[in-house]
Order: sequence, then C-alpha cells, then structure tokens
Amino acid sequence: MPMLNPALVENVLGAARTGGADFAELYVERWKRRSLRVIDREVREARSGLEYGAGLRLFYGTDVLYAYTNDLGEAALVELARTLGQLKASSGQVDNVGKGGLDFRKAAATGLHAPEVAPSAHPKRFRLERLLEADAGARIAAAIAQVESSLVEWEQEVLVANTEAVWAEDTRTRTRLITRAIAQNETDTQTGYDAPGLSVGLELFDRYKPEAVGQRAAEQALTNLRAKRAPAGTMPVVIGNAFGGVIFHEALGHLLETTSVAKKASVLSDRLGEAVASSTVTYIDDGTVPHGWGSSEFDDEGAPSERTVLIDKGVLRSYLVDKLGGLKTGYRPTGSGRRQDYTFAPTSRMRNTFIAPGTTPKEDLFTGIEFGLYAKKMGGGQVSPGSGEYNFGVNEGYLIRNGQLAEPVRGAMLVGKGPESIKRIAAVSSDLETAPGMCGSLSGSIPTEVGQPHLLISEIVVGGEA
Amino acid sequence: MTFSEAKDFLLEKARELGVELELLGTETRELTLESFEGTISQMTQAAQSGVGLRVIVDGKTGYAYSEERSEEALSWALQEAKENAELQTSGGGALPLGQALGRQDLLGEGLSAPLEEKVERALALEAGLRQDARLKQVVMARYSERDVTVSLASTAGALGEYRDGLAMFGSSVVMQQGESLKQNWDVSFEKEFHSLEPGKTALEVTSKTGRLLGAKPMKTGRTTAYFEPKAFTQLLSVVLYMLSGKSVMEGKSRLTGKVGQRVGSDLVTLTDDPFLEGDLGCRPFDSEGTASSAVTLVENGILRSFLHNSETARVTGQANTGHAARGYRSTLDVGPSNLYLNTGEGVSPTRGVVVTDLMGLHAGADPISGDISLQALGLLVERGEVAHAVEDFTISGNLLEFLASIVGLGKTLEWHLYGGALGAPMVEIAEVSFAGA
Repeated sequence: MPMLNPALVENVLGAARTGGADFAELYVERWKRRSLRVIDREVREARSGLEYGAGLRLFYGTDVLYAYTNDLGEAALVELARTLGQLKASSGQVDNVGKGGLDFRKAAATGLHAPEVAPSAHPKRFRLERLLEADAGARIAAAIAQVESSLVEWEQEVLVANTEAVWAEDTRTRTRLITRAIAQNETDTQTGYDAPGLSVGLELFDRYKPEAVGQRAAEQALTNLRAKRAPAGTMPVVIGNAFGGVIFHEALGHLLETTSVAKKASVLSDRLGEAVASSTVTYIDDGTVPHGWGSSEFDDEGAPSERTVLIDKGVLRSYLVDKLGGLKTGYRPTGSGRRQDYTFAPTSRMRNTFIAPGTTPKEDLFTGIEFGLYAKKMGGGQVSPGSGEYNFGVNEGYLIRNGQLAEPVRGAMLVGKGPESIKRIAAVSSDLETAPGMCGSLSGSIPTEVGQPHLLISEIVVGGEA
Repeated sequence: MTFSEAKDFLLEKARELGVELELLGTETRELTLESFEGTISQMTQAAQSGVGLRVIVDGKTGYAYSEERSEEALSWALQEAKENAELQTSGGGALPLGQALGRQDLLGEGLSAPLEEKVERALALEAGLRQDARLKQVVMARYSERDVTVSLASTAGALGEYRDGLAMFGSSVVMQQGESLKQNWDVSFEKEFHSLEPGKTALEVTSKTGRLLGAKPMKTGRTTAYFEPKAFTQLLSVVLYMLSGKSVMEGKSRLTGKVGQRVGSDLVTLTDDPFLEGDLGCRPFDSEGTASSAVTLVENGILRSFLHNSETARVTGQANTGHAARGYRSTLDVGPSNLYLNTGEGVSPTRGVVVTDLMGLHAGADPISGDISLQALGLLVERGEVAHAVEDFTISGNLLEFLASIVGLGKTLEWHLYGGALGAPMVEIAEVSFAGA
C-alpha cells in the first residue's frame, strides 16, 4: 500500500502552521512485526502485527507540540493539524498562515541495509525450524532444564516530510534471534543468554547459526550454575568486548545526548574540547554501519544518518544532536533524531556506538591484577545523566587472581559514576566487536548497537555478596 | 471502520473460516504537558487505537493485531493469526465461555477540566520544584492524563467494554549541594484531575531528593534494611513474576508446587483486590472477560494461590482467578489489579540503612532465580536517627530470603505503578548484604 501522497502531506503541513508555528513535520509509518516464541520445542506464542500511524510535530521557537493518531484519512489528518496548530494561537501567538507550495526534495533509501531476500518469501515453518535448531544446540548437558528461543522480525516503512521541504522515505528491516537457556541443579537455577540481531532479513541465520547461538546460551547458564556469588568491593575490572560496551553506552553515551545537554542536566554539558576521558578512549557513534542493528539510512527526522566521532583520544568533540537539540544548543545536528514509533516525538539518541580499538594485547590487560573481576558478558543497566551514576549487571563473570583467570562468579553488579569511570580506563585492546540491544529513553525503546574491545578499568565498585 | 464495525466484520469472517476468535480493542486518548523554565515547552495530544486478535484453530492459538481498520488490513490480521495458530503442535486451548459484560465507566468526569487549568498545574509543578535552593535543574515537570476504553468480543459470546483513566504528575530533578549531585524522579497519580496537588508533589520530590545530598560511600557489610514503599514495590514487581500462573506454566517460577508451604515470614500477606475504592488497577472484568474478584496470594507467609488466566489455569490444573492481562498488541499474559503487601504495627529505624530507591531492576534482578544485585540510594541510620545519606552501593541477596526475613511493616500503605498498581508499607528486613567501598 502507498504511503501518503505529497499533496496531502502539503495540506497537513500547511494546516499545522496556521497558528504561526516556525516548523512543522509529519512522520508516517507502517510497520509489520512478527514474533515467534518457542519453549522446549513447543510454540508458545506466534504473533503478527500491523502498526500504522502518524506523528505531527510543530516548533514555536524551541517549544514543541506533538500529536499522533492512527487515523490517516486526509480529513482526519488535516483536522488534527488544524487543531494542533491553533493550540498555541489561542495562547496569544500571531497567526501567519503556513507557506504551502512546498517543493519537496525527495530522498529515498538506497538499500544499504536492505535484506538479500524479502522476509515474506520464507514460509512460517522455515522460522520455526531455525528456532528448533537453536533449541537443539543448547542441549549440551543434562542440567539444561529449559530452552526458550524467540525470533523477532520488523519491516518498517517510514516517511518524514517537513516545512523545510525535506521528504525522506526509508525502509528498515531488522531480525533478531534471542535464546535463553536455564540450567538447574538440586538447589539452584541460573540462566544464560545470547541474542544476535542485525538490519537484515532471515539471512541472519547465515551469519549466526542457530545451533551456535543455543550453545552459547547454554554454556553461559552452566557457567553461572557452578559460579559462586561475586565478592563485593572496589577492584580492577576487565570488561569483555561486544556487549561489554553497554557500560559506556549508559555511562557516557546518554550523557552526550542533547536532551540532557541542552538542559544542563548532564555532567558533560558545555565541555566540548575538554579532556573528559583517558587518552586511550576514542568513542564513535555510527549510524551508517552496513546492516548494523542500530543503522538506518535516514534518522526519524529525515536527516541522512552519519558517523559521529564523540570523543577523540579522550577529548570531547561532539554531542549527539537532534533537530530540536540543535536549535537549543547551536550545535550541528548529527542525524541522531530517533524514536520508537509514531507515538513518540524524536529526541537525540545513539545508533551504533563503540569504543575504537586500542593497541594493548588482550592478555596484557590481566597482567598485574592481583585480585579483580573479568566481566566477560555484560547485562543491561541504567544511568542518571544529572549525576552520572550508573549501574549494570554482569551476565558472565570470572575472578582474576594474580594476573590469571580464575573461578566464575555470578550476580555481580558494576556501580559508579560515568565521568569518573571513563578517566579510569587504563588500557584498551584491539579486539573491537559490537552487539545489539534495545535502549529505552525519552523517545521510547529503540534498537542500538554497543561495542568495544576488551578494556581495563583500574577501579570500580563491584556489588556482590558481602 | 469503527471498532464496532471491525468487530462485526471479523466475527463474521471467523465464523466463515470456522475458527474461534476473541477481539480486544482499546481506544486511548492522552494529553501530556511539560513545563520548562516557566512555559509549556512540550505538549502531546494523542489518539491511538487498535484491535488484537486471538484465534483458536483445533485447540491451537495464534495472535495478530492491526492499527489499521481497513478490510484489507483486518483480513490480513485474521489470516496471519490463523497461520500462526497452525504452527503450534499441541492443542487443548479454548476461549472461555463468554457472556454479556455490559458497559462501565470507571473514569466519569475525572479528567474534565479546561486545558488552561491543566497547563496551570504543569507550570505550578515546575515552579514548586524550583522553590528549593538546592535545585540545579528540572529535568522533567510533566502533567499527563490517559483515557482508555477497553472493548472485548468473542465468538464464544463475550461482549463488553469499560472506560478508565488517570491523571498524573511526573517529576525529575537534579539537585546539588557542594560537590554532591543527585538526580531523582517520582510519579504521583490520581483518578481525578482536581486531586493533583502540584505544590505538595513538588515539595515531596525535592525533599526526597535533597535528603540524598552529601552522601558518603557505604561500607561493605551486612545490616538491617528499611525499605521505603517505593523501593519495596519495585521488589514486589519481581515477586509478582514468581506469583504469575504464566511463569508456573512455563516452568519459570521458583514457587511452583509450593502452595500451602511457607514462602515468607509470618508478617507477609499479599492480596490482589480489583475493587479497592478509587485505586488504579480496578477493573470489572479481565482481558478475557472473566469477572474479577479479590484473591489472597500469600497469607501469613503461606502461599495460597497464583494469579491465573483461563489458559494458565487449565494447563496447571488450578482455578482461574480472573487475572488475564493483554493489550491489543500483546499476547495473553497474567497481571495484577491492585496487589499489595499488608500493613503492620509500624517500623522505627534504629540502626541500619533506609533504602529509598532501587535502580537497574531490569538488569540486576533475575525473576527466575530471585537473585538480586541492585544499585540503591539510601540513608544511614544510627541510634534511631539519620546520620547521613549513602551512595555508590548495591544490595544483594535473594528475594525469597528477603521475604523470609521481613521482621517489621509500617502502618501506611503507599501505591506505585510498576507493571500494575502495587502497594506496600515501609518494610524492615533483618539482615541484608550491602556492597560499597
């Protein structure tokens, strides 16, 4: 089915500006989502959904009005635009009727992240068979009591048009396999997890064999089952690559979003050009990585996605800037305006964010640590940008004793203040990898990739058993 | 098509196809006003609706939903739901026998007020937050309201709808004293717009955040913990997972098989009551149309019941408690109405830590094992008085151990929204592991 035609969009944007708005933007999306969840080889839930809605945003200076609806008929949209456009007018704004006559500069996706094969070309049965392979791959020990696998598929069509004549159409196809294994003995239950995802179709299964995904989840569950509870205290921590990058996503990335920076509600506000991290740290947010989980050709404001160097050798070079953040701060927008769906106005968000590779051999990170923690696989976490306080869980951890990897520990939680932790990065190795996640913030839950090489933090509070 | 037209269209198509069909529709209107530096910097008006389909074919279940109500989109959804159902290998599912459920309005005129008045409240909230000299920045001062109509219809004869809603304030502030910075947030909600009190809410937020300033590192060790209701209801949201019939059905609850056994100290009584006067989780029927009733889940420490919908009840061989929960986009689940931990004779902290907030619940709490390791904010208490705030620490242990170690309960129940309306008083736990410097 076609998205909206230019004449209709022009009418809506015109109606929206009748109250004197400086800027109007229409976001339309049609989104097919499928999910399939299997527990112990039995289909628990199979679901398909069609989401279809529009979001209309108006700027008056830096004040914002936003409305969204599922009714995309022309009459309903124009009426909504007129109502929204008059809200400010009634509070004393001058009426200077919208310009109209927009000559849209049409831009469409080039297919950089497009799937090789349309997901709809595969039967439902094909998906189920792959999930059963993940289940089989996880059955590596009698202690594996349960295996759950889910397949999540998104096909999202987006149109963004605004009164600056932007017209951008993008299609985003994302696929993710999530496998969770539960290991059990007489006294204890522990879980393991693996969840690869990319901006691809079902060829995800060519890049990540379901059996191997299942096996990784099972191995982690078994490791946690024999792990003792993590010790508590302050110690050096080596953080693993790939999803290990979640620490700086939370503790650094969120603090660089103009949402917080503009309100001076981030401890990193007004610090461009300053050394904010140790000189071993270069931090990049790149929305152009081909098929990256957090990639798209345009952001949700219709701006082309780009690669943004945030921190170069410890020095703060850029924030993550959306259109409104740019208006408020004067910083150049970085194609970082993102939103979960039409029910959210966009804000500045991360895409694929990672710490660039360093030069220290991975083994050398452990040398000289008398007693510390190796956080091989990280879990999720959160941060308060105003204070920089963060926390996140360790899904798979080991103690380090006398420079050597020792026994596994579970239940460790890393706690600290981001700006302090990034100064304590003592060494960065060269084995950069990235991993997908869902990031929740003001504009909802969006796909982002985190990443880093193995790195050493000289001192961090580890929450565990006292 | 309206929901009513979509309902007629789909029920007829389902009968033609020979499948059982249940339709859950919601229509939501929302308004959000955000005040920043004395003006409404952001305002959102929303109308969202959709219809969720649960189809049963030969005892097998499949789901689909659509926000587009064209014949084409609805037909697509029905076909997808049918094909999804056919992926299941074992059947046995059925829609509960339906009945006429009527139309109820639980909201009434609760949100009726001119926009200007709502704008004034949002502005007053921000102004109130700025009264405190230690305030560094208002991150959020938000008024929001929601008006939802839930409709249910099925080929098994269910037909009914109800309307509900709420008005709320959301606040988040950064406060500073010397070098010490603290950010905190709070939500307060009412069924009546006019019951919201911006001045009172603002004072609560700034005093609750301000008392955390000047925090010192917490020493690692074990001590008594006094959980404030906000912090304890966060833990309750994890306990809820263990009490869910769905977790039992899927082999994920550590409480499976423990009905009649001790799962907490004598003081622990957990009740879910859908009819608490004026409370937020109230509902006349659950999302499968089962009439709601109050259920005692844990009584003086003894597990009495799980929360069930028709499917989890059937599979586990227990009684349906009328706790089906589903939005049109989601699949059938179990959810509480108003779930609360009973009050007690009062708690007066003498020595230990008052835990005011927990963070990182989605990462630091494992609902399957019950293991928790959570960043916390709190106040150190010595000789019956607050000595100072403490920071950079976590609490850890197992939730079931926590429930077994509850030695005191406060006198006043406080409600919070964490995946449902959850209530708790102040909770004293004899010994908790704290990790800090």
